[in-house]
Amino acid sequence: MTNPPSPSHFWRWFDPRNRQVGTWAYILNRITALGLTLYLALHLVALSQLAQGAAVYDNFVALAHNPVFKVGEMLVIAAGLIHGLNGIRIALNSFGIGARLQKSSFLMLMLFALAGIGYFGFIMFFGE
Amino acid sequence: MSNETWKITFLVSRQKAQESRQFQSFEMDVDPDEYVLDGIERIWAFRDRSLTYRHACHHSTCGACGMVINGVEKLTCITPIRSVTSNGGTIKVEPLRNFPVTSDLVVDMRQFYTHLEEARFGQVAPVEEACLPFEKQQIADPSSTYERLVDCIECGLCISACPSALTSSSYLGPAILAAAQQGYMQSKDLQLTHWVDSHDGVWGCHSAFECSEVCPSNVEPGWRIMDMRKIIIARRVRSFFGRT
Amino acid sequence: MIENTSRPKNNEGVGLWLTKIILGLLVIVVLGIHFIINHAVAPGGLLTYADVIRYYKVPIVPVMEIFFLVVVVSHSLLGFRAILLDLNPVAGIRRAIDGILLVAGTAAIVYGAWLVILLASR
Repeated sequence: MTNPPSPSHFWRWFDPRNRQVGTWAYILNRITALGLTLYLALHLVALSQLAQGAAVYDNFVALAHNPVFKVGEMLVIAAGLIHGLNGIRIALNSFGIGARLQKSSFLMLMLFALAGIGYFGFIMFFGE
Repeated sequence: MSNETWKITFLVSRQKAQESRQFQSFEMDVDPDEYVLDGIERIWAFRDRSLTYRHACHHSTCGACGMVINGVEKLTCITPIRSVTSNGGTIKVEPLRNFPVTSDLVVDMRQFYTHLEEARFGQVAPVEEACLPFEKQQIADPSSTYERLVDCIECGLCISACPSALTSSSYLGPAILAAAQQGYMQSKDLQLTHWVDSHDGVWGCHSAFECSEVCPSNVEPGWRIMDMRKIIIARRVRSFFGRT
Repeated sequence: MIENTSRPKNNEGVGLWLTKIILGLLVIVVLGIHFIINHAVAPGGLLTYADVIRYYKVPIVPVMEIFFLVVVVSHSLLGFRAILLDLNPVAGIRRAIDGILLVAGTAAIVYGAWLVILLASR
């Protein structure tokens, strides 16, 4: 690997080795951003089924009960919670609020995210 | 110093001219309370005179000896060997990241120093301005005026650790942005806020705060970048409502 | 004294960044409403075509969904653009990125809005 800055180093954005909590927040925010953008595109494509009438849409929804889909949806919920809560932290820091507490605030928000993921996961897999 | 002797392997990055990087190992007997820089100096003095590295004050005020030690940015003059390895272990020594390598452990910091000049911050400032607003100011006589050197020793560790600086050579980087914030606090020069109001400036920061983690000198660059953002946002909101 | 070297006012200054953040905060609010209504309030959880059509007959729903679409597409593409800007593309590629994202975003919003209006009219 060359030493000066280079776009080819982008994979190291996602390398947490020897880094601190803030880098974990950075990595999670970036991965969830890309994942949610991809999901947004897929969601729009999926909703296009509605334009094709009842039979097509209802068949598609039946497909969505597949466990693989449910795991995918759980990942979307997790990404949404992590990205949203971390985004609040970043916004507050940039308005001069809590920048000195950025580590502890990130950990606290991720606990909330975990709680949310657990709640929605329970409903999706064990709820009615 | 302790009475212990440890056997340590130094794995040192070697890179001359246009060659690709290689690692050369040196097995050393060291006192674990010595500093990493002491080990590097003995390698140069007694093992390989072609090794190039940068050093000066040996007490963390010049910023010259910054390197990446076992994957983390450190000032090697104040990094005890026992803090980065154990007896029989390895110390991997690399040059700072995100700078061109001149030779071995020496990197080219000319652009960095040029940008620091552009930030126009006074390196000696009244204590009130030199200190972070949330840190305790130690002043012997409140009725007198005191000045001190500002905290940044221009070591470049923050830029080495910054993920934004990893992929963009035009990103100013934490040290420069922190210097701009310090310069603005000293001079209230709006030109400085215009200078950093771009993706190459404060908006290229993505809040990893690695800069603050590795800074050896209490600059808190991450906090200063966020403070500069706050200043720019406030200026924009004020101008939106017709108030300068 | 060295003057600041003139830097091209590129990419993302405070205006675009603030827009991205405000949109992000709006996404949180509207997504919350969207999620609760779609999956908790709406009868049947909108799992059949008939439920969806009935849902879109409520006048506020198409308005809310189109607003949500605009906000989330804009925030998403502004964020994606910021990630691409971190790669420090040259001016020509930067303009191409801006053009592609603008077209993609507009297309997504137009298509989504068309879909909403179509469903509301059924």
